[in-house]
Amino acid sequence: MITLTTTLSQHFAPTDLPAAVRAALGKPLRRAAPLTQLALVGALACLPAERRALPTALLWQSTSGPRLGTLTLLDEVCTGSAEPMPYDFLATQPAIAAAQIQSFLPGLQTAMHLPLDSQGVANWSLLLSLAIVWLNEGRCQQVLCAQLDHATDVASGHWLALSCAPLEKAPAGLHLAEDTARDALPDTPDFPARLAEWLAGNDGPTLSLHSPVAMKLTVEFTRL
Amino acid sequence: MTRPVFIAESALLCARGDSPAAVASALWNGECSAGQRKLGERSFPYFGLALDEHNWMVRAELAIRQLAGQLAQLPSETPLFVASSSFQIGHFEQIGTPFELPLAAASFSRQIAGWMGLSGAISSFSNACTSGFSALDAARSLIAAGLIDDAIVLGVELANDSTLAGFATMELLSRTAGRPFDARRDGLVLGETVAALHLSAQPATWRIAGLRTGLDGFSTTGPNPDGSRIADVTVDCLKEANLQAADIELIKLQAAGSPGTDLAEANALRSVFGQHMPLLISLKPGLGHTLGASGLAELAALLACLDADKIPATVGFSKVDPEIALFPMVERSTEHIERALLNLIGFGGGLASLIVERRG
Repeated sequence: MITLTTTLSQHFAPTDLPAAVRAALGKPLRRAAPLTQLALVGALACLPAERRALPTALLWQSTSGPRLGTLTLLDEVCTGSAEPMPYDFLATQPAIAAAQIQSFLPGLQTAMHLPLDSQGVANWSLLLSLAIVWLNEGRCQQVLCAQLDHATDVASGHWLALSCAPLEKAPAGLHLAEDTARDALPDTPDFPARLAEWLAGNDGPTLSLHSPVAMKLTVEFTRL
Repeated sequence: MTRPVFIAESALLCARGDSPAAVASALWNGECSAGQRKLGERSFPYFGLALDEHNWMVRAELAIRQLAGQLAQLPSETPLFVASSSFQIGHFEQIGTPFELPLAAASFSRQIAGWMGLSGAISSFSNACTSGFSALDAARSLIAAGLIDDAIVLGVELANDSTLAGFATMELLSRTAGRPFDARRDGLVLGETVAALHLSAQPATWRIAGLRTGLDGFSTTGPNPDGSRIADVTVDCLKEANLQAADIELIKLQAAGSPGTDLAEANALRSVFGQHMPLLISLKPGLGHTLGASGLAELAALLACLDADKIPATVGFSKVDPEIALFPMVERSTEHIERALLNLIGFGGGLASLIVERRG
């Protein structure tokens, strides 16, 4: 059985992100782009120390991507008088986030980054479907699914942690279901916050996640 | 539910040609010429597309429509999986300031879907050099699980100064040529490509027997030189495919001519294959390193080579590096290959191994 072990939503003023990293690590993380910092503070908040070495996959999506970093790089490349600084190029490569946090999550075996193509619409249904398939295959023991965004005024991270081990305090189980008719939430970037509200209430035993991209992907959550 | 996933067809446009068969023929003939791309006072060899169009976006449309024309007509609702490390950044370079980037990072994927005539689900993947195999992994996981029946997996990496400048500033580029596993190797040569694979649950000649991705956090620009993480991914891939190392007949190397990454890959291969090394080839001296699209482009090219039983020689390799001590093929071969392994070792720590098997 696959269980939902954690729902988490974090919001930071961008200037507060380095302090959040220091608080999580006990030291600063040098040369880390904002999306890497968000990934680090979220992943460590989702996984207690005893589960950080378990085989883990990270599937994360982003609407903003490294937008601010890309603007900086474009400015340097198109209007600068010299070649860009290496760090400014690295800051435009979101895949680096996983490599930079691996030393703090030694079980992190693989990561996949999915940039989104529309505002206000996410692809949690795909992330969760892949997580369910991979956990059922035994490819890993836990999967972190996340939506990470960074803008000038706010940095946000929404997280769901899934495990194939039955954990005592898991609030819900989840599986792929065919029936999509009832109690469905839309696939939006803040879905974990909506899911947490449902878990905190008493609105029925199951909840489905509808995908706007309609790939026969319906994820059903069941209260435990 | 787990079912086999097949590669029904492929499409490719790159510096070597405008179809997988044309590219395979050019590689067989040893074609490896590259152009030059200027960056300030410096210039670098570069494998560009032969498209006579200056406007970046119009050129991208030409490339994608040419690619779509190589594929059989598919239902418009066929899911599309797009892989890229740079998307349309070249367009914004051309438009100039103020840079009006879209608020959604992968909005270019919707444009691509329109050019492809697809109106179904779109998913985008950006994992630097392993983007293509990440997209392939997602698509084939969904097909194997019975959640979808077909998918188009498309890689796109088109010319831009930002990527070239980024690699140049980190001194990762060769000023002359890519020399895989060679003692004189001194860096990568970049290129552009668009490539697509139609994955299906319906039987076809080639099956995806195994695909595993991994992560090496040793450095943001290269893997641990001991190759241990790369070896782990390859071993996982063999396990998934239920194959032994000795069952692999040919390896399409990552080997782009990078001093550190080539060494790490060689150490990984020695660890997995020992004294029974399969045939080794690198396609990058002919195609360039096409980054986020490289996995799909090289897979399409390799399958066309194997379909014709014409394995090209690896151009650029002539002097053995004693630290590497592995030998890519310098003579072309007509050997019939049933199973091949393809390696990707990405900038940013991404790793991937793929095994394709000919259907018996």
